[in-house]
Amino acid sequence: MADLTYREALRRALDDELARDPDVFLMGEEIGRFEGSYKVTAGLWQKYGPERVRETPISEEGFVGAGIGAAMMGLRPVVEIMTINFILVAMDQVINHAAKIRYMFGGAVGVPMVIRTPGGAGAQLTAQHSQSLEAWFAGCPGIKVVAPASVADAYGMLKTAIRDDDPVLFCENLVMYNVTGTMPDDPDYTVPLGRAAVVREGSDLTLVAHSYTVQRALRVADTMSRDGIEIEVVDLRSLRPLDAETVAESVRKTSRALIAEEGWSTYGVGAELAARIHRLCFDDLDAPVERVGGAEVPMPYSKPLELAALPLESKIEAAARGLLAESGIA
Amino acid sequence: MSEELVMPRLSDTMEEGTIGRWLVHEGDAFAEGDVLAEIETDKATMEFQAYDAGTVLRILVGDGETVALGAPIAIVGAEGESADEAVSAGNGAATPPPQEQAAAETEPEPEPKAAPARKPKSSSKAKAAAGNGARATAALRVSPIARRMADEAGIDLAAMAGRGSGPEGRVVKADVERLISSGELTRPAAADAPPEAQRAPAEGEIRDLTPMLKAVATRMAQSKQTVPHFYVESEIDMTRAMQLRAELNGGLADSGDKISVNDLIVRASALALIQHPQAHRSYVDGKHVYHAHASIGIAVALDDGLIVPVVVDADTKPVREISRETRDLAGRARAGKLKQREIEGATFSVSNLGMFDVANFEAIINPPESAIIAVGATVDRPVVVGGEIVVRKIMRVTLSCDHRACSGADGAKLVLTIKQLLQSPSLLLV
Repeated sequence: MADLTYREALRRALDDELARDPDVFLMGEEIGRFEGSYKVTAGLWQKYGPERVRETPISEEGFVGAGIGAAMMGLRPVVEIMTINFILVAMDQVINHAAKIRYMFGGAVGVPMVIRTPGGAGAQLTAQHSQSLEAWFAGCPGIKVVAPASVADAYGMLKTAIRDDDPVLFCENLVMYNVTGTMPDDPDYTVPLGRAAVVREGSDLTLVAHSYTVQRALRVADTMSRDGIEIEVVDLRSLRPLDAETVAESVRKTSRALIAEEGWSTYGVGAELAARIHRLCFDDLDAPVERVGGAEVPMPYSKPLELAALPLESKIEAAARGLLAESGIA
Repeated sequence: MSEELVMPRLSDTMEEGTIGRWLVHEGDAFAEGDVLAEIETDKATMEFQAYDAGTVLRILVGDGETVALGAPIAIVGAEGESADEAVSAGNGAATPPPQEQAAAETEPEPEPKAAPARKPKSSSKAKAAAGNGARATAALRVSPIARRMADEAGIDLAAMAGRGSGPEGRVVKADVERLISSGELTRPAAADAPPEAQRAPAEGEIRDLTPMLKAVATRMAQSKQTVPHFYVESEIDMTRAMQLRAELNGGLADSGDKISVNDLIVRASALALIQHPQAHRSYVDGKHVYHAHASIGIAVALDDGLIVPVVVDADTKPVREISRETRDLAGRARAGKLKQREIEGATFSVSNLGMFDVANFEAIINPPESAIIAVGATVDRPVVVGGEIVVRKIMRVTLSCDHRACSGADGAKLVLTIKQLLQSPSLLLV
């Protein structure tokens, strides 16, 4: 077991897959000589050369489209979009092409492409650069959407995503890049897509999250544990396919569910999960399913306002305590 | 304002329903979600829950009476209201809402053009009730798991109305846990007069069939008249199966599990059916429908009649799981607590009258299943083994088959495989 950052785990996964499979190549803005805006591709241009670590103009629609074409012809492109905010100009390629081609071609051809892109907020990047839009994509059939929340998952899921025969939107998080954690030494370590994980066991409340919010959830669980309240934290890991059964199994145990996410709650991951939980666990619930999300405003620049808009630990804890109070637990 | 409750559709095939019994009386107040009555459909007894809080003004259909789907069964409304209003509304007269209720409404609702026979559920009504002190304290709110736990523990929560520790007095899990540990509020044994079925019939008395007996009568007559049955009989040496069962039950003694002969027969049938797809297909509208897994219906005798709950995909389940599920299903079958989905989807059935010391009998197929095995008692009999007369435990079975689905040879092969499995019963464990 080695300690390293989320960023380094991603870099190693890219390095290992580039070395393992000559069909894998990277494409994106400033990912070569400059090593990527968040340095995830550090050293790879030097190691694999400009053919396999390709720099592109600022033209998301163009290079996502190029990635789709390459994937249809048998290559395995890993396209970096500098942040999820910039994917919006390539929506037609992602939703109308990448996600549809296997269906439109009657299964004859697929798009084994990964789009890596970070979302998240908290660095005063304001309204246009502080969004968590993954739920928009997770609502679309034909594309997988994953959002690892640990170093080991970042490594293991990126490798699985690259080996997947269908398009995968791989959502990273700006705040996660410097988070450290342990990674298994096994060079063949992979993590399947579409499986949630119980990352902390508890009996009183199920707290579901994905991406960086899992870190917050774990801290809330630690805090409340000092008061004798045991929260079970479920890391979704994948948003599509969504492993509702693992969540349901936990809720059947705890009878209470809270979903936290950095994106907006309305029509969000929590909305989808609340619907699934009500169906799967109706007779097990002791209180209504509760959600915590980002404030439903464009992200403010002002630091105090930004903090007020984020689903910080204090808000998650307050929601958890509210749910427990409804259940007659102090 | 008062409104009519109508016979709800509680199963896909039901056309009429019978009021098993009312759990509320005229004049009783009830909360949203309270069980008002037990309704017998063509298949099962279901609970009829209130959509909204209110008071029972008049019961129109008494215990044991049967009415068509959609027919009015009761009139409900606010306490002290007249039941006649809903009746006149049902005749098409527009009735203005009472003044106090209109004043309590916080969300405007479109005025109905003409009063429908059954007014749609009105959210403002619950709010009006909450604004009324007497009604608010009477409202019983219960979280889903608390309701389930109370039902399972036989606890009547009526006395807990407004006293739970959740919001607005909602009874939550922790409250029920406290009640269970304190032993309070346990439901008394039914003190009311026994329903008709439990009374001895008077001389010459004529009774309507219960919905379940009606369904049995219709289906069995239809099956015997339209399905060409043929029968294959066999004798199975159960000596080794009985030894295995004794050994298993010795080992499981502390676990609470107990394997029955029937569990072994269900397991053997499921495995054999998978080996013989031609004896495991249904004849439906001139086509053969094949089944990937064997779901086994198990006939459970009731005081009057029978019901056939299903062990789903029994070929994928070990004997112990089949045993547990069967015990649970049979127990709830006798208590009238089976869910609709638990009595559907069988691909084969087992009917065992061994406990009545029956030597042998023939069962009627339950379509669209294409076969049923009738099992007699296991008895000590002299048989010839290797030229010697020895005493063995012999069980006679008769397989009834639908000749449109399978031939005599298919049926014979199925019985032979069941026999081989039961005579080499360790095969049932792998």
